[in-house]
Amino acid sequence: MSKPLIHRSPMPGLGLSMGITLTMLSLVVLLPIGALLLKGANYGLAGIWETVNRERVWSALFLSFRLSLFAALFNLIFGVMLAWVLVRYRFPGRRILDAAVDLPFALPTAVAGISLTALYAPNGAFGSLAAEIGWKIAYTQWGIFIALVFVGLPFVTRTVQPVVEEIEREVEEASATLGASRMHTIRHVILPMLMPAALTGFALALARAVGEYGSVIFIAGNIPLVTEIAPLLIIIQLEEFNYDAAAAIGIAMLLISFAMLLVINLIQVWSRRRIGYV
Amino acid sequence: MSDTGQIRFRAATEEPPATRWTLIGLAFAGLAILVFAPLIAVFVEALAEGAIEAVRSLASPDARDAIRLTLTIAAISVPLNALFGVAAAWFITKFDFRGKAFLITLIDLPFSVSPVVAGLCIVLMFGANSAIGGWLVAQGYPIVFAMPGIILATMFVTFPFVARELIPVMIEQGRAEEEAALTLGASGWRVFWTVTLPNIRWALLYGVLLCNARAMGEFGAVAVVSGKIRGETATIPTTIEMLYQEYLSVAAFSLAAVLTLLALLTLLLKTLLELRHADQLAANHRH
Amino acid sequence: MHIEIDEISKAFGTTAALHPVSLSIPSGALVALLGPSGSGKTTLLRILGGLEFPTSGRVLFDGQDATGLTVQERRAGFVFQSYALFRHMTVFENIAYGLNARPRATRPTKAEIARRVTKLLELIQLPDIGARYPSQLSGGQRQRVALARALAIEPRMLLLDEPFGALDAKVRKELRQGLRDIHDTTGLTTVFVTHDQEEAMELADLVVVMSMGRIEQIGKPADIRARPATPFVKEFITA
Ligand SMILES: Nc1ncnc2c1ncn2[C@@H]1O[C@H](COP(=O)(O)OP(=O)(O)OP(=O)(O)O)[C@@H](O)[C@H]1O
Ligand SMILES: [Mg+2]
Repeated sequence: MSKPLIHRSPMPGLGLSMGITLTMLSLVVLLPIGALLLKGANYGLAGIWETVNRERVWSALFLSFRLSLFAALFNLIFGVMLAWVLVRYRFPGRRILDAAVDLPFALPTAVAGISLTALYAPNGAFGSLAAEIGWKIAYTQWGIFIALVFVGLPFVTRTVQPVVEEIEREVEEASATLGASRMHTIRHVILPMLMPAALTGFALALARAVGEYGSVIFIAGNIPLVTEIAPLLIIIQLEEFNYDAAAAIGIAMLLISFAMLLVINLIQVWSRRRIGYV
Repeated sequence: MSDTGQIRFRAATEEPPATRWTLIGLAFAGLAILVFAPLIAVFVEALAEGAIEAVRSLASPDARDAIRLTLTIAAISVPLNALFGVAAAWFITKFDFRGKAFLITLIDLPFSVSPVVAGLCIVLMFGANSAIGGWLVAQGYPIVFAMPGIILATMFVTFPFVARELIPVMIEQGRAEEEAALTLGASGWRVFWTVTLPNIRWALLYGVLLCNARAMGEFGAVAVVSGKIRGETATIPTTIEMLYQEYLSVAAFSLAAVLTLLALLTLLLKTLLELRHADQLAANHRH
Repeated sequence: MHIEIDEISKAFGTTAALHPVSLSIPSGALVALLGPSGSGKTTLLRILGGLEFPTSGRVLFDGQDATGLTVQERRAGFVFQSYALFRHMTVFENIAYGLNARPRATRPTKAEIARRVTKLLELIQLPDIGARYPSQLSGGQRQRVALARALAIEPRMLLLDEPFGALDAKVRKELRQGLRDIHDTTGLTTVFVTHDQEEAMELADLVVVMSMGRIEQIGKPADIRARPATPFVKEFITA
């Protein structure tokens, strides 16, 4: 006996809610993504490979991925620390800090982009300080890194915060009664408990950074092979009406996103299976 | 757990004060550099030539057109996404069907797609070169480089916001109240308006708030589909880009300041909602 | 180890959880702290374990002032009501935790740790569950693992907060005997908290009846039954 596709239910509105959901989802999300995949299918794997396998494209994809990885790693460490401070400590200004964590979610990327550029440009507030020690930030990979740290900042903190809240005090106390120092407890009890959530946040920050455009292009300098990110390359191809090439790069990026989505889901399945919670 | 007069002892679950204050200091320093500095820089740059100049630049035709277009886009795409969010949350939480987890993954998909790729998808689907797009252009309804394309792009990138907020809340609330109302003879719509909606209104508002902030600020996807035609398809963020690249710094940052104020207002309302109605918001926002 | 509680009081803000209480626990005794909810049992137990610090008064271990000792220095085997097992560690890793946490100089070798964990698993009569995670255990099994974990550090005393509180009646009876056996083999001074008078009377050598932050009576179960010292005790043990 096979399970029915939809169980009978006394609830009203099945047809209407299902209709709206599936129609809008298809129109807004699925069909457009399908159009990209179809374009890729027509173009063929060989064609995609030919487009992607060029130095300029490789270096853009590699740059986007590498700097996103560094930025996400920074956010992993800073985000876990921030989550801990915000949940565990009471100090003046805590609420403001907590609210500030969300600013990168709320601030439009173009605004962040020009603002960071103004700060880190050679004549900007931070840029001029750095210039004194001969450190150039804006229009180099450092600038891209900083912009990617900015956009990824909230993810780890916001996924880890609820988990810190749920750690039972007794578990930490148990560790102490067994003779463990506070450092030992943090390393062997607390951090492992935060790890699944922290990794989820890390993957989200990474995925966001790889696809980021608005906050990066102003500060990046956009020099081919050096500071040109993958999303910008798509836009350049589109402006030259190279739809095939744009689609090829787009598919490569889509595959990276899907891979990361898969990783996030695997982390969650793994942690649920192993320790019974996410 | 502060016990008065116990300064001598440290609880087993606390870090030494030196560690604690170092971490707090790092948190302040990190956020000051990463978040507060860019925030302040927007206003400093906007007011670089005085408040009058900043306000005057906002009254320019470019800026006014951009503001009008962005408001129109948000006024259309946000309610549509709210409608979708409510319908999807109802479908997912009130019925049992196969493939539910997969459907949720699909709804979340836009969060993991680059906005530029999202714009690209819409260009490929509805651009003049595509079958559908070509036909629509022939009928006089262009999508790409026109308002419908911008709306679609905006909806794409903000698609999951409302549904994501509502689904956990409605799962937690269960179906018992709706079932009770049905047994009392209420019609489907009546159940929705008088039982469900009052229970989810704060979560709905929360989702709409975030959706709106993102809709007004979306740049990457809109940059791809809009063509950035002045006075026609240039939204606030794309106008900021154009002004900035023309070295009209004050004008660019004045518009940016408008969006920044919107972001701050959004955060303020969001924080208020979290303080007042934490119990009626999705679990992962509770803190 | 002989435990002496000397005029210990504890206030949380303005609420007094313990009025000055004194109590002497002979070495090797099995003692029950018995009383209704909110009477201060947990607070007293946590003060013994170093998890809470008294507002005034002293704790003496074998005649030495232990009031200022940190939790780690007290070496009290503490079993929490919720067991507080580490969810991300196997049963084996949970029991080995205290040994692994020792500084290198005093840490046993890997082989020695494995040997001790195996022995403890046999002591709690669950020799085959070392590789499991706490989420894969029944309530009674978790309780015994928590006990083994506390015993692994070779504690100077055993402190248990409502050790059987979360279990059903049948398992409760079985584990009661198990605790008695473990107490008798290890000879550890053992203090457990309960609000079940039958449990206290049946298991303990010495019962301490508490109410509203005060000790109402200290005595052998038979004496308390035969001669309740206050109306409260009389009512509580007949209830
Ligand atoms: N951390 C704390 N902060 C404030 N008050 C506390 C705290 N811990 C305990 N109390 C108060 O101290 C009193 C004694 O609490 P305690 O936990 O010792 O009682 P108990 O006898 O263990 O009760 P139960 O059987 O319910 O566990 C109670 O009034 C309680 O509300
Ligand atoms: Mg208690």
